Amino acid sequence: MRLVGRLVHDQAEAEDVVQETFIKAFRALRHFRGDSAFYTWLYRIGINTAKNFLVTQGRRAPTSTENDVERAEGFDDAESLRDINTPESVLASKQIAYTVNAAMDALPLELRTAIVLREIEGLSYEEISEVMACPIGTVRSRIFRAREVIADKLRPLLDMPGHKRK
Amino acid sequence: MDTHKKIREHISAFADGASPAADVDLALAALQGDDGRQTWALYHHIGDVLRVDPGPPLSPGFAASLAARLAAEPLPGKRVAASAAAAAAAAAAASTEPVPAGAAPVASA
Repeated sequence: MRLVGRLVHDQAEAEDVVQETFIKAFRALRHFRGDSAFYTWLYRIGINTAKNFLVTQGRRAPTSTENDVERAEGFDDAESLRDINTPESVLASKQIAYTVNAAMDALPLELRTAIVLREIEGLSYEEISEVMACPIGTVRSRIFRAREVIADKLRPLLDMPGHKRK
Repeated sequence: MDTHKKIREHISAFADGASPAADVDLALAALQGDDGRQTWALYHHIGDVLRVDPGPPLSPGFAASLAARLAAEPLPGKRVAASAAAAAAAAAAASTEPVPAGAAPVASA
């Protein structure tokens, strides 16, 4: 759900895609030969299902949505730090979270998928290469390009004096 | 790709423990400089922020709904038997010869 939720932004639609993924996997169980790990096989079905869904919906990745704002507002990791952080640093953390998530959501699907599989799902480059059916060099390049795009958006924020004091 | 960008790509792969052996020295050398260390910190910062957001929880009826859909699915193994039986039955039906009782495969799924 974490992966699909990053590809399909609407919560209800993402859940539909997840359900469809499990149904497809169940139907295709007899075709699973064990050449790859089960979870990479399942990830692959999930990504393809999400891609097909987005194509049939004729959607492009949103560049900035209400969802971004909600996500930024719901960014609660600062809760535990609130006692020791200043209001300025809490605000800076929220701005950083908003910027990173907005930049993520604006990434092309292939870059977004690659960095989600690496940073959130914790897959190795080899596993991502299996899931995305592309060479490891392409995985390396996609992850790097995704990081570059996000980093470009983030650098100005990290130069803020408030953040440097953190 | 310019040199700085190439170096950052080495750092990106190195941060993931996925540097080719030939590039490890390049990444380590890059990390001796301020730019390299800043890039290293920035990439890790991005990962930290992404991992903090757990995403929305599944809706309450999700598991029950998925279970109901799965329960409605034929078992994968029986699907094979059913399709084989259907093919055999179709072949038998296409035949002009009468099929002896009990010889035609019957789908039990």
